[in-house]
Amino acid sequence: MSTVMPTAEDILAGAETLRWSAGVNFHEQLVEAIYTDAARLTDRAVTRPDSPLRFDFDRTVDKLVTSRWFGFPLMLLMLATVFYITIVGANVPSALISDLLIGIIHPLLKQGSAALGVPFFIDGLLIDGMYLGSAWVVAVMLPPMMIFFPLFTLLEDFGYLPRVAFNLDAIFRKSGAHGKQALTMAMGWGCNAAGVVATRIIDSPRERLIAIITNNFALCNGRWPTQIMIATVFIGVLAPPGWGGLVSALAVVGVAVLGILITFASSFLLSRTVLKGEVSTFSLELPPYRPPRIWQTIYTSIIDRTIIVLWRAVMWALPAGALIWLAGNVNVSGLSIAEHLIQFLNPAGLVLGLNGVILLAYILAIPANEIVIPTVLMLTALSAKMAGVGAGAGVMFDAESDAQLAQLFAAGGWTLLTAVNLMLFSLLHNPCSTTIHTIYKETRSAKWTTVAALMPLLLGFVVTFVVAQLWRLVAAG
Amino acid sequence: MAQALLFILIGAGLLIGVLWAFRPGSGWYWRGKTQVEMTDRVRTEDAVKHVHLSNLRGLQPTLESLAGALQVTGNEAAAVAQSLTQFGLAELRDGQLHLQPRGVEAALHIIRVHRLWEQHLAEGTSVSDGEWHAQADRIEHQLSAQEADKLAAQMGNPLRDPHGDPIPSHAGSLRPQDGLPLSSVAVNQSYRIVHIEDEPVAIFSQIVASGLQPEMELRVLENSARRVRVWADGCEHVLAPLLAASVAVRPVEVQAQEVAQRPLSDLEPGQASRVVSISHACRGLERRRLLDLGLLPGTMVYAELRSPSGDPTAYRIRDTLIALRRTQAQWVRVE
Amino acid sequence: MNSVPVIQPAAAACEACPAHNAANLLRLGVNVNDCDYVVALAGNPNTGKSTVFNALTGLRQHTGNWPGKTVTRAEGAYSYGQKRYKIVDLPGTYSLLSTTLDEEVARDFILFGQPDVTVVVVDATRLERNLNLVLQVLEITDRAVLGLNLMDEARRHKLQVDDRRLARDLGIPVVPMSARRGEGIPDLLRTVHEVATGATVCNPHRLQSEPAGLKRAVAQLVAQINAVYPGLPNARWVAMRLLDGDQRIIDAMQRGELGDLALRQNLEPAAQAALEPA
Repeated sequence: MSTVMPTAEDILAGAETLRWSAGVNFHEQLVEAIYTDAARLTDRAVTRPDSPLRFDFDRTVDKLVTSRWFGFPLMLLMLATVFYITIVGANVPSALISDLLIGIIHPLLKQGSAALGVPFFIDGLLIDGMYLGSAWVVAVMLPPMMIFFPLFTLLEDFGYLPRVAFNLDAIFRKSGAHGKQALTMAMGWGCNAAGVVATRIIDSPRERLIAIITNNFALCNGRWPTQIMIATVFIGVLAPPGWGGLVSALAVVGVAVLGILITFASSFLLSRTVLKGEVSTFSLELPPYRPPRIWQTIYTSIIDRTIIVLWRAVMWALPAGALIWLAGNVNVSGLSIAEHLIQFLNPAGLVLGLNGVILLAYILAIPANEIVIPTVLMLTALSAKMAGVGAGAGVMFDAESDAQLAQLFAAGGWTLLTAVNLMLFSLLHNPCSTTIHTIYKETRSAKWTTVAALMPLLLGFVVTFVVAQLWRLVAAG
Repeated sequence: MAQALLFILIGAGLLIGVLWAFRPGSGWYWRGKTQVEMTDRVRTEDAVKHVHLSNLRGLQPTLESLAGALQVTGNEAAAVAQSLTQFGLAELRDGQLHLQPRGVEAALHIIRVHRLWEQHLAEGTSVSDGEWHAQADRIEHQLSAQEADKLAAQMGNPLRDPHGDPIPSHAGSLRPQDGLPLSSVAVNQSYRIVHIEDEPVAIFSQIVASGLQPEMELRVLENSARRVRVWADGCEHVLAPLLAASVAVRPVEVQAQEVAQRPLSDLEPGQASRVVSISHACRGLERRRLLDLGLLPGTMVYAELRSPSGDPTAYRIRDTLIALRRTQAQWVRVE
Repeated sequence: MNSVPVIQPAAAACEACPAHNAANLLRLGVNVNDCDYVVALAGNPNTGKSTVFNALTGLRQHTGNWPGKTVTRAEGAYSYGQKRYKIVDLPGTYSLLSTTLDEEVARDFILFGQPDVTVVVVDATRLERNLNLVLQVLEITDRAVLGLNLMDEARRHKLQVDDRRLARDLGIPVVPMSARRGEGIPDLLRTVHEVATGATVCNPHRLQSEPAGLKRAVAQLVAQINAVYPGLPNARWVAMRLLDGDQRIIDAMQRGELGDLALRQNLEPAAQAALEPA
């Protein structure tokens, strides 16, 4: 070495020359060297059993859950069980919370504010608007999530979910997606925002974007009640007596299946158009099975997923409740803002086989799908000038019976087409603002957030428009 | 009412469309406008690149060769040469073009961006190899020196493009292409492919079709005036001497083994084998992922489970169960 | 270069002084004013790293049986032996050599933050794959503890892991544990304390299996690096990264960050404290 002290630049130049003159890939040589050392150290430290274990639990379970005959049926059984427990189990607490927050506390608050002489305006905005809106979200959203997420998390902790991805990867690969999207989609059936967060498990950038953008086609927990109600009132009644329940259930499942098909179709299109050329790789580790720790799982999944998602939803529902109340109560030249907007939106709504009330409800209820139905009911009663229904202008309410619902919808001019298109539009419209917010946080890209928000909406417009035109053509002919 | 609404919607749509088209910078209108200004610059840049690359091959470009490279008429080529002289990039002496220092600098920048972009497409995207050259030809006129540096830094400052061509350094020096033509090397020795000449295209595509890739290690089995036979990637490849002359190789220290190989995807559940190599056609993130999973020469791999839908298959690699798709398992060569 | 006198190991002057780089840690987003030692928690995905983190700090971060759960970095604190420890849970990675974001976060933290102790949590049933990361960490830092987790799983699979031999071979303390049941956590706390306070001095394993060409190239670069940055603890690793064209390390060299790291190693602890902003 010369007497002159070398500098950083000399080192860099030296490294460059060495890289060039070696002509081999140092990276691979290094990786190889590290693994060689690791293997040697492991051989020295680990003693393996002489003969293979007589009963290898992991291998036995793996053979079963990925077997050609039992793999798929087991998966469906597991999924059906989770859904059954969620739906049946959520009914009771949902009714309890609803009775408490809406049936007991809401009237109490109203009485209290009346006794204090709070002005109508503030009382309505705060109690009928903001309180009621968020109470609704909590009542509809909380119980299913508190059941669905822990169940899902238990399966996750056991190690079963990666096997589901393994079984289903072929289908997703054909549409340019990743097998793990099966799980983010299932998570989306609970809540799309949680589904979007769950896409973190997909480590290939292109496949992750696809999973994020298409997650909205998984019919979320906030939209199931809409589907069930409309199907019961409009489609169930078409069936012969006694079959109504089954037919309407089939209709709802049909919409959910349609959502799955659209997920595949749009994944296929996305991977071959806008996302073409994005880097894509596949890796899926099947971890060893581990006994789940039930109590800790329940605790953390409630903290981790349920509370965070619920908190975000309530934060969005507060202003939405206020807006809904204002729209119903601020009058301009004799009509409320809501009625003006409904009249304005009606032509467009009719072209789509919907109506102004539904479009307005979807605009006002962007924060949470849970409040679409109460808002639709309130707006229908308002615009049809029905007396004695609901709790006053701008106050969301739920119907007492299916008969009352049918009566209300008839007054609003609803037809079977309106019902079918509402079910379609409920599946195909922009994600709720909580989900949009989450998509932005996960992708850090305004572009992909916009795509994720507008693509389903556009699709919804196209589908409802086409269905409406065909329907009218058939009906006229 | 409905009609009025329709008009409003159509009007708003038109307005948005017009604004979109005139959106500063990237709107259609501006793009069309810059396109016209671009062509002159593009031609000049293509011209210096042509001159420099010809020089590197030991040729002295003329107006005719320039016209051929730019696919223009002789008169237009003369006009381009004129503007090269005007900008002080090159000069025309005895019908031959000679680059000035500024011209060399410009040419190296263009070549740097071109080869960096090809490397980026190969390593960081899933764009197929047939599209690399055409895309890089477009991008080479669009990136600044800083953007090129950033791109290089992201990729870990690659030395060569996916064809094995050296990438000019940030400081603007281009290392000479090294290596011996495969047609001239000794039999029974092992070599590594350092470069495959990508022009003329007809020869290049034949070499690529034969399955040879830069970085592959090979062993020469026969080298005669009739044909060159080599063992690489687990099978024998036969090339005409003309093709072999376009492949540059360097001797390696460790001798490549002549072992029969098959892709990992051939393993049925219950079978096991030892990894020989990962094909060099597998690049970028995909390659690093497989290496990180521990798929290295000598590693034992056990095929354990096959998905009920036929693909992927789970392999036990270093005590971990990893599912690989068939397309991935094909990259991995096993005994 | 400069004429900093080469003083022999600072540890001799002050056994119990923190070794972390407060200024760099602050830049990495960790406030070290309220703690005595900084502990980094590294490991492969799905090795129970988050469980260890929760067991140490009492936090309840969700830990699933999914590779790759910790996407953002989590931070917690605990006290042991009258010292306050800050513990940083790094993203789970298989390696530190590729260029994914997770790996960069983990790598930068260990290299530039110079944590007092780096705990690498490994899965005892899949030691070979996990040692891949351990050996890389040991090239960067020599203040490390191996948390040999999931020993209960290893027993279930009838694997015998000789932790003493592993400790001898690796040159760092090895703590067998089953974090899910809380086994081994007290041992881990004690061992981390010993390494942090300098009571245990590590002599980590360095790579031996590189091919001759790589070895030569590394040796040549290390000689140059040592001449410019005398006392840089991980010159070998820096050389290997430069041979891989790693831009982050090239930048660090050009901006003088590496020089800072080397300088800290050579200063008296008192002078070191003066260098760090209050």
